Amino acid sequence: MLNLYLFQILNGLGLGMIYFLISVGLTIIFGLLNFVNFAHGAFFMLGCYLCYSLLAATGQFWLALFVGPLAVAALAWGAEKILIRRVYHLPHTFHILITVGVALILQEGAIIIWGPIGKSIPMPDVLQGVVIMGKFAYPKYRLFLILFSAVIGFLLWLLLERTRFGALVRAGSESTEMVSLLGADIYKLFSLTFALGVGLAGLAGVLSGPIRGAHPFMGPEVLGIAFVVVVIGGMGSFGGALVGGLLIGLVQSLMTTIWPEGASLMIYGAMAAVILLRPYGLFGRA
Amino acid sequence: MLRLPDPKAVWGGTTVAVLAVLILLPIVLPSATLATEIVIFAMAALACNLLLGYGGLLSFGQGLFFGAGSYLASLAMIHGHLGLISALLVAIAAGAAIATAVGWLAIRRTGIYFVMLTLALAQMGYFLAYTLADWTGGDNGLLDVPRPPLALFGITLADLHGAGAYYAFVAALFFLVYIGARRVIDSPFGSTLVAIRENETRAAAVGFDTRHYKMLAFTLSGAVTALAGALYAMLINFVPLDNVAMQMSENIVIMTVIGGTGSLFGSLLGAGTFVLLGEILSAIWPRWPLLLGVGLILLVMFLRGGLWGGVESLLARRKEAAE
Repeated sequence: MLNLYLFQILNGLGLGMIYFLISVGLTIIFGLLNFVNFAHGAFFMLGCYLCYSLLAATGQFWLALFVGPLAVAALAWGAEKILIRRVYHLPHTFHILITVGVALILQEGAIIIWGPIGKSIPMPDVLQGVVIMGKFAYPKYRLFLILFSAVIGFLLWLLLERTRFGALVRAGSESTEMVSLLGADIYKLFSLTFALGVGLAGLAGVLSGPIRGAHPFMGPEVLGIAFVVVVIGGMGSFGGALVGGLLIGLVQSLMTTIWPEGASLMIYGAMAAVILLRPYGLFGRA
Repeated sequence: MLRLPDPKAVWGGTTVAVLAVLILLPIVLPSATLATEIVIFAMAALACNLLLGYGGLLSFGQGLFFGAGSYLASLAMIHGHLGLISALLVAIAAGAAIATAVGWLAIRRTGIYFVMLTLALAQMGYFLAYTLADWTGGDNGLLDVPRPPLALFGITLADLHGAGAYYAFVAALFFLVYIGARRVIDSPFGSTLVAIRENETRAAAVGFDTRHYKMLAFTLSGAVTALAGALYAMLINFVPLDNVAMQMSENIVIMTVIGGTGSLFGSLLGAGTFVLLGEILSAIWPRWPLLLGVGLILLVMFLRGGLWGGVESLLARRKEAAE
């Protein structure tokens, strides 16, 4: 019995790290660009499908893990240059509409390319099987998922806190105008940040592929969960996305043992509870 | 003293145009069912417009109210054997109550957080409907939704089984909702809502309890949207889970902005365009939502006022040229 809970807690950590990667991307974009990407879930879905196609074509999981997120980021970079940057000066409503448009194109495009029925993605050969720790056995892939996303999270933290690019992103979140006046190419910074944030959603998609598969209509659900995480953790906060993501992952995973049908419902229940007690989220300031 | 509405206020503006469209729709279109669908979605878009166009509140959770109206009216008819009017009243009351609860939670935050909260709370409703499959039918949907005759105090006034009769009933309800919405917008309440949209801090400083106003707008919008949802369930005799999905919320918002916010006639225009394009294009190419996506992007780029905004600026330009 105890092992079952340990199993679900580890599952929850893995799921939570995926939610963290999705939400931290959403949050970085919002922090700097003051722009909410409603196509974030659709880019995640694209990551899943790229995982499927790259694995099917080459059989190399490491290649999929490397190329998939980069391809998603490149697409986002192009979309930012052509479309997104034209609407920064408009109210939020138009940000939402244009990214809803992009999400529809991605969703329907995925159906045209991969068909309306979902694809299941095989476990990569190297990561098949279980790791045995005493009496406890745990799937290798899920353990890899937790460790790998933790490394990515740490690298992202280094990027944001210890590099010139990160300093510019953080300074830009405080005052875009000031950073621009100090001579930084703000448009280049915007494009790169948008590509980075969306690329993280793509990476989360590739990573979750072997567990959840790929489905053209998974975007809205993922977007909903990302919103729950940032509402709980506070938008624009790295730590908030981490804690919110892990919290939601754990709630969902533990509920799966107690009440399987209601697991997804409880995510939103947890959010409603947080909003009732702390309207500005766990880390939010008024 | 009872104050009667000023006839000019009721018949001015776009009221005549709305009435004309309601009469012409079933004549011009190949089927009355299609016309009914347009008018039902126009009602949902109008409720969304009340929030977005006048209150400046973008709700991405209108599907929740629509779905709740569909499910609760249907369950009231199937299990409670309620008649048409009572079932619609159940939907309206439930829509108002749920919208008040959602509004109460979501209005604690403003701007983009508000939008995200409405979306997340609507997702909660979706998963609730999915989880309560014993009642809602879950993925299979709720089947065999009846369409009872229009009856008052046990006296049957009209049988609504015919597509034409049902259209007339729905169109009459839409017209009543439209007149009601016009009255709300022209009232001090409506002006306050616009003041909050323009500058919430200032409205609060002048002494208005802005949260109270926003919540009341939400309640009204939820009630009307749920009515539309109930009418839709009776139209197709079925409640698919899609009625409460995010796609529904998205579609309602899209119809509203295609038509143009800030004009109630725009909602009829937007719903008509959306439903007709969907009907025509989906027959040619099942992947037509891709074109919808392209259309949305073009709208944001070139036609931010929606179709009604386009018509208005065209009229203004012609007037300028004439002068």
